[in-house]
Amino acid sequence: MKPYGHALLALARQRKEVVCIGGDLTRQTETDLFRDEIPERFFNAGMAEANMIGIASGLARAGYIPFVNTFGVFCTRRCFDQIAMSVSYPGLNVKIVGFMPGLSSPGGPSHQAIEDVALMRALPNMTVIEPADAIETRQIVNAIADHPGPVYLRLKRGEIPLIFGDDHRFEIGRAQLLGPREDGEVLIVAAGMMIPAALAAARTLGENGVSAFVVNSPTIKPLDVETISSMAARSRIVIAAENHTIIGGLGSAVAEVMAEAAMSKPLRRVGIADRFAESGSREYLFHRYGLGTQDIIQAAWNGLGIGKPMPVAPVLEAAAGAYAPV
Amino acid sequence: MRVPTLSSASNRPITSACNDPDSLRRLAARIRLNATRMIAIQGFGYLGQAFSSAEIFAVLFGGGFMDFQRDRFVLSPGHYVIALYAVAAELGLLDPAELATYGADGSALEAIGTERTPIVDLVCGSLGQGLSGAIGFALGSHLAAETRDTWAFLSDGEMEEGQVWEAAMFASHHRDRMGRLIVVIDANGSQVDGPVTSVTTLEPLAEKWRSFGWRAVDIDGHDVELLAAAFRDRGLDDAPYVIIARTETSGRLRCIPSSIDGHFMKIDQALERALIAELQGSLA
Repeated sequence: MKPYGHALLALARQRKEVVCIGGDLTRQTETDLFRDEIPERFFNAGMAEANMIGIASGLARAGYIPFVNTFGVFCTRRCFDQIAMSVSYPGLNVKIVGFMPGLSSPGGPSHQAIEDVALMRALPNMTVIEPADAIETRQIVNAIADHPGPVYLRLKRGEIPLIFGDDHRFEIGRAQLLGPREDGEVLIVAAGMMIPAALAAARTLGENGVSAFVVNSPTIKPLDVETISSMAARSRIVIAAENHTIIGGLGSAVAEVMAEAAMSKPLRRVGIADRFAESGSREYLFHRYGLGTQDIIQAAWNGLGIGKPMPVAPVLEAAAGAYAPV
Repeated sequence: MRVPTLSSASNRPITSACNDPDSLRRLAARIRLNATRMIAIQGFGYLGQAFSSAEIFAVLFGGGFMDFQRDRFVLSPGHYVIALYAVAAELGLLDPAELATYGADGSALEAIGTERTPIVDLVCGSLGQGLSGAIGFALGSHLAAETRDTWAFLSDGEMEEGQVWEAAMFASHHRDRMGRLIVVIDANGSQVDGPVTSVTTLEPLAEKWRSFGWRAVDIDGHDVELLAAAFRDRGLDDAPYVIIARTETSGRLRCIPSSIDGHFMKIDQALERALIAELQGSLA
């Protein structure tokens, strides 16, 4: 399927200034498509992320648009100073694409990017984006190429769901209401892999007499303050759901918006509770570390102080090529 | 390089080529004199770096080896920017009156280079990052089929950063695109905690670079004729090229006491007077 790889290749066919840099994870980052068709604009830096970021910065200064691809852990933790000084501070047109967000990797703490959003969000000039499906991913590739400046793009590898229709319009800095209603007792703000779980939780809550609605916030920085604060104003409780540590990511960003707007309503952050995880399947890890549909339902149920027994989310089957929310 | 318009920078013309060794030696002395006066305002700063690299900057900028409009210059150790300011003021790239603002609040001439630093295409404050950026420039030039050199100035201390060797390995692997990349290392043997040899072992430097696939020369970095010959030898083959210039933070000035901290020199008024007298004497 490779929605990112195909979108990047299509972009590079149109725009000669697009170059592709990798760190020994070419097939894994879907950039084998680029390498095989446009080898002269493909550079494999090998397992040397610091140098990879520096080369990208030089190419950006020379007028190119480098897309730098590796796993999220390696292109944030390993080369943070290089990103800060060589890319973010000069505001260069480098697109850093980190695959395997949060607990989508079975590889344990060394391969699980659980604080990449927090790191990238803290950097001045940096835009941070996490798509939820293949349609959004394709649109994001074009949007960030048109956006002058550094971007961190957090991408799921492998199975990608189709959530949005062809009428979906991604715009940097814009969140949008996904429904199933336009207001309610519970607002769930989510991005990326948590969108299917957010939608499933909203459905179960609604079927059990607690109205809930979902906002998709693919741009984590700059956060769409207007949409999120106006949607939050239509709810009694806000749940932020992220496949990331609850410190410094989407939940923190939503908390900042609500606090600065002096909203007197509860916020619950669903995410990894300030701890490292372990190896395991996505299903196991999402259950064990509190990233499931039931965790969202529980946060809303307890946050609202509902006395009656909590409903249980039905187990969903994955569509072909996609993944089911846990 | 980002060469300023002359009218705003200086009333002096850009004088890029002064090929005779004596002129280059005098330019090096004027670099040291400028740097001494810049440091003297606060009494401390990166004077040792200007002293060790004065001949490198004099020959590279004053010897006609760089086309200021065409070529790119990367200054990896940002605290060496004092030497850049000092030579730029001599060559009409910078208003000499600006030198007095070095390191002052609000000045464009910051003590460690930043994005505001004039002239350079890239300057790094966090060490070990410049060569990677220079490789990016060289790749970009190659992709655009441009014939321009990329010069990268490095220091020996930053060879301790692993990124330098990541970059060295990459450049060598992509040697067919790196023939116009030239690295000049000011090997002054000094770092914050003292002599490099007291901290770790970088040697054998030239053999290290050669083993990474580079063409390397190892020369006396205070000898303008050896530097000129080494710069002239760029582009001889398709390998990336490194010039290891052996220098001293004293700049071999007699009045510098051997006990001085070469990385961050503090000078009192007596030493300032002695330095200026010795340097002016060499210009007489």
